[in-house]
Amino acid sequence: MFDLFSNLGLGLAVAVSLQNIALCFVGCLLGTLVGVLPGIGPIATIAILLPITFGLEPVSALIMLAGIYYGAQYGGSTTAILLSIPGETSAVVTTLDGHQMARQGRAGIALGIAAIGSFFAGTVSTLIIAALADPLTRLALVFGPAEYFSLMVMGLIFAVVLARGSIFKAITMVLIGILLSTIGPDLTTGQLRMTFGIPWMADGIEIAILGMGMFGIAEVFRNLEARTAGTVYRGRIGRLLPGRDDLAQSAKPILRGTAVGAALGILPGNGAVLGAFASYTIEKKLAADPSRFGRGAIEGVAGPESANNAGAQTSFIPLLTLGIPPNAVMAIMVGAMTLHGIVPGPTVLTRSPELFWGLVASMWIGNLMLLIINLPLVGLWVKFLQVPYRLMFVGIVIFCCIGVYSINREPGDIIILTALAMFGYALSKFNFEPAPMTLGFVLGRMMEENLRQALIISHGSFTTFVERPLSAFLLAVAVVLLVIALSPAIKRSREKAFVESDE
Amino acid sequence: MTIRSPQNLIAGLALIAIALIAIWAVSDLPQGSLRIIGPAMMPRWLAIIVGVIGLLFVIGGFVVDGEPLERWHLRGPFFICTGMILFALTIRTFGFLVAGPLTMLLVGYGTTEVRRVELIVFAAAMTAFCIILFVYILDQAIPVLTIPGTSIKF
Repeated sequence: MFDLFSNLGLGLAVAVSLQNIALCFVGCLLGTLVGVLPGIGPIATIAILLPITFGLEPVSALIMLAGIYYGAQYGGSTTAILLSIPGETSAVVTTLDGHQMARQGRAGIALGIAAIGSFFAGTVSTLIIAALADPLTRLALVFGPAEYFSLMVMGLIFAVVLARGSIFKAITMVLIGILLSTIGPDLTTGQLRMTFGIPWMADGIEIAILGMGMFGIAEVFRNLEARTAGTVYRGRIGRLLPGRDDLAQSAKPILRGTAVGAALGILPGNGAVLGAFASYTIEKKLAADPSRFGRGAIEGVAGPESANNAGAQTSFIPLLTLGIPPNAVMAIMVGAMTLHGIVPGPTVLTRSPELFWGLVASMWIGNLMLLIINLPLVGLWVKFLQVPYRLMFVGIVIFCCIGVYSINREPGDIIILTALAMFGYALSKFNFEPAPMTLGFVLGRMMEENLRQALIISHGSFTTFVERPLSAFLLAVAVVLLVIALSPAIKRSREKAFVESDE
Repeated sequence: MTIRSPQNLIAGLALIAIALIAIWAVSDLPQGSLRIIGPAMMPRWLAIIVGVIGLLFVIGGFVVDGEPLERWHLRGPFFICTGMILFALTIRTFGFLVAGPLTMLLVGYGTTEVRRVELIVFAAAMTAFCIILFVYILDQAIPVLTIPGTSIKF
């Protein structure tokens, strides 16, 4: 217990310098600014803003990224509430009651309670991260290549089961993601693979470019045909601070949402996405009058938004302790950290504790920033929503071009971006989800590395994966999950759950 | 045989095409053995699995009822992709002062709602904004203006 606070103290000492606070603030600001653009979710936001952190030292860059991350999350909630356009799957729930509140002239209250709930959830989950980091990192040290490989298989199966639509299609996407990750130099021999002799393909595909193409530009293509993004917010924001009644109504949903979200967020595979859905379902079940839900019930915003933020935060746990990103957003964060020379994983905590605890502390600061600085500025963000989409998409495209160019100063990367954008558009036409592919892409390289090492150790025998107890356990969990998800009864209710949330 | 799910049929064919391209691209690399895996092992076997899944989709397209093909709206993708490729071609040779507006003017025509004057003003303003933000404030190495054949370079 004492350790926990001394560690957090160390973190605060690192994070609380004038420069870092300023960076965290700017990150938050820019994150919201880009995240609030319709159709641009957290993945595309982080990818677009990543280049601006390049000139910074690793600690400062991470702190700024944490700011961008929370800003992007909150920007997504803002568009969900004001325009009913969710930036990512977990924001779908917020559109249900949040947008209704906005239509009733209570937009400000909805935004306010979302920020307050998120801050509370963020504070609790920061403590959870601090408490779990040490034991989990020690667990990671007993992991060999075989265990890592099996853990990643399990994570991918989680992601497949939790993806929307066909499980079969999600598996295909994961495989294509891993296949894309093998483009570039071979890990041990350095031979170039699938680069077609093109010099700018030699380094493979950068994850940030994948994110921008599949989630940024491809989304612009979809918006241009759907025209829903042409919606401009004309309503008023109104009062931001919830009254005593609103707070009393929201207190318990925030507590429950935090607990549910934090627990699900720790799971490998996209557990965080479930948090918001689970919280909404719980609140609806517990409510004295469930018919209020879908008509602007404040519990329907407070609970899921807290769950969302708690999950967003605790999903850092598998990343920081085991080095395994649990979802597509974390996958982009890995790419960002790697570009700064930080390889997420157990060694971060053991070798550079100040970096680790600095990041944990800055997460909390990022949350605080969101509440005290971002919220009052919400009127400014709404101004951006009044820019017509016929101009806004031009801005998004040029930002992506600049962003991609500044990663490697390689014009060829923009050609890759173009190809990935078309691929992403094609995927949506055939109802394939890009998120499992992104996760497969990031885990692909690590999986290949661990598979090779495991097989070298076992002299080429695959039985090593089932002979080692921990590895066998992880694989068994993966198989059980897949079987459950494919069983007819669960399949039906799974489809129903996703359909309900779409409405 | 009648096609019962055009969407699955085309998706399957596309997956098979991806698999074939990948298998062809690693054809000259050694696969190694299970003990010491070579560079071609992972991509080749992944591609084979993707190809088999593609085949299943193709078969499914004839056997199971499914969705029709969705309409593609190519105006947006066409102007945006052309614009981005133009950016890639001009950013090094001419700099952002040329590449930026050129790209934005082209990209803007991606929607039928385009208004010419408004777009020109927006492109000019955004060019200035981007140069100030990215080059001067964020200190990114983006060429502002180079004139080929001369030593003029900013």
